[in-house]
Amino acid sequence: MPDTGQDRPTLGDSLAARGISRRSLLKYAGYLAGLMALPPMASRAMAEALAGAGRQSVIWLSFQECTGCVESLTRSFSPTIEDMIFNLISLDYSETLMAASGTAAEEARLAAMEANKGKFILVVDGSVSTRDDGIYSTNAGKTNLAVLKETAAEAAAVISVGTCAAFGGIPAARPNPTGAVPVSEIVTDKPVVNISGCPPIPDAIAGTIAYFITFGKLPELDHLNRPRAFFGDSIHDRCYRRPYYDKGLFAKSFDDEGARNGWCLYEVGCKGPVTYNACATLKWNGGVSFPIQSGHGCLGCSEPGFWDQGGFYKPLSASVMGNNAVLGGAAAAGLVAGAASVAMARRRRAAAMAAASKPGETK
Amino acid sequence: MAHDAGTGAALTGMVDSLMQEVARALTALAETGTRAAIDLRSLPLTPADRDQLAARLGRGEVAATLDVGGRTEVWETAYAGVWWQRHLGAGDHVAGETLEITPLPDILQSHADDIAAAALRLARDLHDTKETADA
Repeated sequence: MPDTGQDRPTLGDSLAARGISRRSLLKYAGYLAGLMALPPMASRAMAEALAGAGRQSVIWLSFQECTGCVESLTRSFSPTIEDMIFNLISLDYSETLMAASGTAAEEARLAAMEANKGKFILVVDGSVSTRDDGIYSTNAGKTNLAVLKETAAEAAAVISVGTCAAFGGIPAARPNPTGAVPVSEIVTDKPVVNISGCPPIPDAIAGTIAYFITFGKLPELDHLNRPRAFFGDSIHDRCYRRPYYDKGLFAKSFDDEGARNGWCLYEVGCKGPVTYNACATLKWNGGVSFPIQSGHGCLGCSEPGFWDQGGFYKPLSASVMGNNAVLGGAAAAGLVAGAASVAMARRRRAAAMAAASKPGETK
Repeated sequence: MAHDAGTGAALTGMVDSLMQEVARALTALAETGTRAAIDLRSLPLTPADRDQLAARLGRGEVAATLDVGGRTEVWETAYAGVWWQRHLGAGDHVAGETLEITPLPDILQSHADDIAAAALRLARDLHDTKETADA
């Protein structure tokens, strides 16, 4: 039977019923406060607010995607503090995770929408097909486009999880055969938060939802509607290889002396200088590593149009200039020339975003 | 930039500033009872800085390990009222680390709701035990 949300106990009650002490909530609140750059002393008030709140109804819709975003949030290695998010929400609909199927599943979505009208959070992963009225991606006989419009109309807020939902992502890459667009192109009358990344960092997904539950509002967002707490710094700004960039020490290929010495990967295509995300600080797989630490440049996957930026292994300067003129300068002068090419790359990105303002069109 | 003699890693000098902040917070706690916390993860401390901070704060009389959604380590430093709190997440990586300037960190105290639930559970367990003995 679908959870209708009626007579739902408080989080404090439901945790107590499962033998989970308030210390867990306090620890989670402290963890979130750190993630969201909130004052450390806020954790006690956050824990009390969470304990008195009901479990937040969440409806999760998956459209043109690869399920990597769901994997990102649900993958964990042991019961840890990061898992607490699943105690805070009531996941009322998720095609990937729910046991129900067919008509029963669709009824669960409609029942949750009715019971939590105007209060539930709609999470979407995947872009939305719009060409030919969206017939290229359907589920249960309905287009993704129709289901999104129907569900978003009753939501309190929408969280676009992953670069496909946030910016169109890979389905919207040229030639974009399905007319894929981001959620924000369709939902224009509700707050839409973008948690970009391919996949996004699970802490960013969980932190944003938990913030909404705790404070009843969305966190501060950047110009692309991404939470500043996670997307406020570039990968480059927080990269542990940054000192090598400043000194002009670059790997020239993936098997040269520079690569073996752990020097900056700028010249082998790292997009860290124009990519805003928290990979360099929060890292992946339980904080083990992130792509640059594993020896590969950042692909820029949390930025709009990352798939069509001219090649993952071309330096930003070459992508910008179409030749290596700036590259030599960057290697010689490090920060100065590098910063110039970064500025040019940012302008190029802005131009690409302007050109992609109608991502539904085949290019 | 100075280097730690033991590891050769860079010391940024940030610990000197941090110790001043701790001292001010501890004075406030002593004089007005005002509690404070410092999020260590938000500061660009190098491993050498962290080691230096730990050395300068030292270890006090109390240390505790909690099994709460993963491991948490809490210890009082050599300065009474200054507590080091480290939350470990998946793979034992540090998920949160704070200095708390307080008589007792919240996480070491039993919450009133947990106490109330425990009282009910204990009463029920005693009742069940008595019924079993009477049967």
